[in-house]
Amino acid sequence: MSLIQVKGVRKSFAGTEALKGIDLTIDKGEVVCLIGPSGSGKSTLLRCLNRLEEISEGFISVDEQSLYDKNINTNKLREKLGMVFQAFNLFPNLNVINNITLAPLAVKKADVKSSEEKAMKLLEQVGLKEKALVYPDKLSGGQKQRVAIARALAMEPEIMLFDEPTSALDPEMVGEVLQVMKNLAAYGMTMVVVTHEMGFAKEVADRVMFMDSGIIVEEGTPRGYIYKPI
Amino acid sequence: MWDIIALFKESLPSLISGLLVTLKVASISLVIAVVLGLIFGLMSIGKSKFLKALSIIYVDIIRGTPLIVQAFFIYFGISSAFGIKMHAVTAGIIAISINAGAYLVEIFRAGIMAVDKGQMEGARCLGLSYSKAMQKVILPQAVRKMIPAFINQFIISLKDTSILSVIGIRELTQSGEIIIASNYRALETWVMVGLLYFILIMVLSYFSRFLERRLRI
Repeated sequence: MSLIQVKGVRKSFAGTEALKGIDLTIDKGEVVCLIGPSGSGKSTLLRCLNRLEEISEGFISVDEQSLYDKNINTNKLREKLGMVFQAFNLFPNLNVINNITLAPLAVKKADVKSSEEKAMKLLEQVGLKEKALVYPDKLSGGQKQRVAIARALAMEPEIMLFDEPTSALDPEMVGEVLQVMKNLAAYGMTMVVVTHEMGFAKEVADRVMFMDSGIIVEEGTPRGYIYKPI
Repeated sequence: MWDIIALFKESLPSLISGLLVTLKVASISLVIAVVLGLIFGLMSIGKSKFLKALSIIYVDIIRGTPLIVQAFFIYFGISSAFGIKMHAVTAGIIAISINAGAYLVEIFRAGIMAVDKGQMEGARCLGLSYSKAMQKVILPQAVRKMIPAFINQFIISLKDTSILSVIGIRELTQSGEIIIASNYRALETWVMVGLLYFILIMVLSYFSRFLERRLRI
């Protein structure tokens, strides 16, 4: 059974249609890259998966639960979906470790000691153990994004959504963030990545989807698709 | 010269007790006003159209009428209509609270709106509810941005308490009037009253700057 199911999804913003009938399924452990020109609807599609955007028509389910079920608890659903943003969206009022422990403490009611231990482990995984007590404004873009990934992982999500995670970074910082994402993929995380990094897509993705003006125009394995475009 | 010092000595105790009333009314009112401002400010940015309308009506009525009319309405209007005997100080506190609260609604609203939209999205994506996200992420950032506007409103409200002399509260301005009625020394007395307000507000202004430096992010 696939982890994410999207059927006939349409989404309009004040008259203009951003998504014009999207169908896709994503299986557990799969890494899917969404590529396409800006304005093609790939970020919108990603944001519909955790209800940051409401769809106008269609059906989306995550882990066999319909997103638009009347009884669904959106906050509970979002715990399953980690999200990483282009602009990082770290909380500037909290230091790195508190950024990471905020949600486990506030949502899962975890105890302080164990969530801090876990946060330190995650910081070690992303190579930023020594930055635990630093505030976000003292970090480089690449470091911010790695903290943001650690923050999302602290909720133990089943799926990670990445919305152009390297687009706001200086070129020399892109590599460190992609490396963390590669490790995550190798670990078996289900990932949906909106990106312009063709190298990453080629190397890591199980499937690549090319979007243009609100529809998925092509879909396939990176080998078949990137190397031999129709 | 000696004459002025004697006058100063003579009127100071009465002015200080007036100053204390001013401080009491202002500080109690401002605490209530912050609560009102926060509640109606959150209502004004929330999803409910009804609560939003309620907040707009509150702000418009208060901003659209002078404080002196509001004070008269509460002290004389309400007590005569409902036969409630209200202490002048109570009426004064209510008037300043409601008045400052309305201005704080706009300050809260602007402060919250000034926090980047991504902060709310970031918090919600982690599974935080709207109110948790507000409390842990948005408001701590918004309040820092609001401090200068906050202190500005505090200073305005502190000075507005002088208007309450019209409903017979013996705050600083009223104390000055009483002293002049007995010694006819208007010039010197008003200078003293002015100085006391000035010193108080300078202290508040410096505190504000200190706070801003300390809480900068």
